Amino acid sequence: MVTVSELRKKLDDKQISSVELTKEYLKNIKANPSLEAYNTVCEDEALKAAELADKKIASGEAMSLTGIPLAIKDNICTKDIKTTCSSKMLESYTPPYNATVMEKLNAQGVVVLGKTSMDEFAMGGSSQTSAFAKPKNPFNTDCVPGGSSGGSAAAVAGDLCAAALGSDTGGSIRQPASFCGITGMKPTYGTVSRFGLVAFGSSLDQIGPMAHSASDCGIILNAIAGQDVHDRTTRKHSIDFTSRLGMDIKGIKIGIPKEFFADGIDEEVKKSVMSAAKFYEGLGAELIEVSMPTLKYAVSAYYLLACAEASSNLSRYDGVKYGYRTDSPESYDELIKKSRSEGFGTEVKRRILLGTYALSSGYYDAYYKKALAVRQQCRAEHDEIFSKCDLMLTPTAPTVAYKAGANIDDPVKMYLADICTVTANIAGIPAISVPCGCDKAGMPIGFSLSAKRFDDALLIGAADVYEKDHPHPIAKI
Amino acid sequence: MCKKYDTVIGLEIHAELSTNTKAFCTCDASFGGAPNTHICPVCTGQPGALPVINHAAVEYAIRAGLALNCDINRYTRFDRKNYFYPDLPKAYQISQLDLPLCINGHLELSTGTVVRIHQIHLEEDAGKLVHDDYHGESWADYNRCSVPLIEIVTEPDIKSSEEAAEFVSKIALYLKYLNVCDAKMQEGSIRADVNVSLKPAGSTVLGDRAEIKNLNSFRSIQRAIECEIARQTEILDGGGKVVQETRRFDDATGTTSSLRSKENANDYRYFPEPDIMAISFTEEDIQKAKNEIPLLPHERVTKYIKEYGLTDEDARVLTSEKYLSDFYDETVAVYPEYKSVSNMFQTEIMRRVKDTDDEEVPISAQDFAKVCEMADKNTVNRNDAKTIIRIMFEEGGSPEEIAKTNGFIVVEDTAAIAEVVDALFAERPDLIEDYKNGKTNVFGFFMGQANRALKGKATPMSVKAYIEKKFSEI
Repeated sequence: MVTVSELRKKLDDKQISSVELTKEYLKNIKANPSLEAYNTVCEDEALKAAELADKKIASGEAMSLTGIPLAIKDNICTKDIKTTCSSKMLESYTPPYNATVMEKLNAQGVVVLGKTSMDEFAMGGSSQTSAFAKPKNPFNTDCVPGGSSGGSAAAVAGDLCAAALGSDTGGSIRQPASFCGITGMKPTYGTVSRFGLVAFGSSLDQIGPMAHSASDCGIILNAIAGQDVHDRTTRKHSIDFTSRLGMDIKGIKIGIPKEFFADGIDEEVKKSVMSAAKFYEGLGAELIEVSMPTLKYAVSAYYLLACAEASSNLSRYDGVKYGYRTDSPESYDELIKKSRSEGFGTEVKRRILLGTYALSSGYYDAYYKKALAVRQQCRAEHDEIFSKCDLMLTPTAPTVAYKAGANIDDPVKMYLADICTVTANIAGIPAISVPCGCDKAGMPIGFSLSAKRFDDALLIGAADVYEKDHPHPIAKI
Repeated sequence: MCKKYDTVIGLEIHAELSTNTKAFCTCDASFGGAPNTHICPVCTGQPGALPVINHAAVEYAIRAGLALNCDINRYTRFDRKNYFYPDLPKAYQISQLDLPLCINGHLELSTGTVVRIHQIHLEEDAGKLVHDDYHGESWADYNRCSVPLIEIVTEPDIKSSEEAAEFVSKIALYLKYLNVCDAKMQEGSIRADVNVSLKPAGSTVLGDRAEIKNLNSFRSIQRAIECEIARQTEILDGGGKVVQETRRFDDATGTTSSLRSKENANDYRYFPEPDIMAISFTEEDIQKAKNEIPLLPHERVTKYIKEYGLTDEDARVLTSEKYLSDFYDETVAVYPEYKSVSNMFQTEIMRRVKDTDDEEVPISAQDFAKVCEMADKNTVNRNDAKTIIRIMFEEGGSPEEIAKTNGFIVVEDTAAIAEVVDALFAERPDLIEDYKNGKTNVFGFFMGQANRALKGKATPMSVKAYIEKKFSEI
């Protein structure tokens, strides 16, 4: 496993070329089909990009990511490369445009190895709702890699790319990062442009990095973040995401919210996460017990908001303009009903129904409006906590990665597993998941740090300090 | 006979704003174009595309609101209106529900009725479906998708079909004067939905209403309301109950028919649009918008009467269309003889452009000013001036050139006048005798004969003066 910053040095020192590096990863991808990390591998395009990158490096124009082979979650639009969201609905969809993050990465001269599999339309925590490749955990291929960015997590942990982009609506970067023993970060809402990210919950979605180190996450964020004229929810900022690497932890106040360590959280997970807290304490940080009473409503509120927005966002898949269309419909009504019934999977349909219901006249006040009130309250509690603390430390997920097939028939149980991650999305704050050892069975555990909005560099700095002392677990693969 | 029912009408007017680009992307917003040529990932609802508000559309909507006496909400927000239709690529329309741009306006009609405006909100238009019945196919053209619209919603203050038609035509005229909408009904840039109900004369309780959707001419608005009133009157007279529903008007048969009942009404599942940030306005923003409002029709009438000394009637005629009023203003800016230009304009220009759809005067105001000046200064005869205008309309050309080639330029040749008139007097001593005996109408004979002989060499005024002088010397 080599980090992006190490690869940068090797490329710049001409120890390896981008083409050689790209071939290496392509070989790894071919050698590990059972990981099912990718929906699409772009061998030709990748090698072409690598050649261009090598020229750029040779002429001394290399930027931080020039020639670095990356994997891109399959819900980020890539011009002329299929973007399926792991859904039959978009099986043959090739976007006519690039997402803003892709424009930025291409300007750097990155190598895109392919599009990673995911839960269908990013709805799920196991990546098993994918209609195509169903990614597996490199630490144990019987286990899920988490989700929805499970393909990206498996690709990074399985050494099938140097780093990857994921997207996070309720934990979809952090939970798979935790399951696969890598670092994953959801930046502050409004840091990275969502233009070209296929929308799930528009007020919650953020694109973010998944990598072998917090430092790599910072490098990638420096490349993809920034205000975008195509996304008016992005904010103007001039954060250097790597500015706090190796920071002094002394005097940093870390909030430990007791609700995140209650029943339902695996004991081994609790222990590992608390030992990470102790590590910081040992460096001079002050641990403060804090409270987030709205946590018990957070999952419900999250699913109402995300599904309400999703029910509207996914309405455009009607079989009229692009994507799956049913055979010989008799009427417009039949075209749309059959196309959607046949094109979407069970979990997506479940969430569309849930969201449609929550927005329906007569139910709006009881569900959607209530969820907005919880969101307000949740934000207020975060403001309160971050008025006393610089960081908050929690588990990333209640458990380690579970066997594929588990939980799949119990959606509520699956939804509840998002308890540790959804509040960051509801509040719009940044959060990073960092590996902190493995359980007895050798499955990785992750802890999360979060901070107030736009304090992203602090998170990366603090995570970096931990990682310097605690190397990531390495998958046997 | 005493009227049995009072008519209650409310209107929802959709007006396409004439911004250069669409409401949420930078595509060309102009009418027409080959199908699907004014489109992009945003207005065709591609996965991942996001809307970006066109601030010109917001400014246009505010300008309309201020001109229609609305309050401008200092905090405004967009909402999604969700429904499936093939002409709506995102399957939701970005609109405004709770916090529209403009609220609480009003507009007074010539009948004295003050129509309150409940709100004006900004939204996006849908695309257009083209049905090929022969092949049983339908095609979607997304050029019009996301063109900005304002919806003007009135309170039910309108009392007759005539008032409704006047309201819509007045709104159309206002929007044109504000430069926010070209108000071409034939291109669908203004459309109206009307809500009609009847109540027993004098009652304060509103009856059940029917809504007639998508009327796109002043005439169809008036006719649809009239036939809806007749239909509802018949139902109520027969002791029946009007069903609350949406109806459509068939222009060919002049009847309305049911589209969908209240029970089948769409649940639009409105919720705040998460992709567009709410907009706040400061007092300065509003003041700036106020300062940018051009003169409205009634304000131009006042100006024409007070500053130009025109009659009320003339002022109204000249301002009946913005392009006419603009042309008049341009002319008098060059040649400020208000009354004379007004007369020439009404007789020679208006009759030629009336009943055309172009809303354009095909000659330049500068050239027209020149002709008016030539006529006033007797450089050409007034009748010849009119001929010049006709030629300009039909063949083009500059007024000076036309006057020259046609020999219209009057050269004041006093010697020629004297020669011609003296000869006439010498030829007809009989008429001079008649004149002495009080038959003054022989004057006209001399004028006519002299003008004919002097065509192009003297103005009728000089000829008249010389003849008068001759008679006075008798």
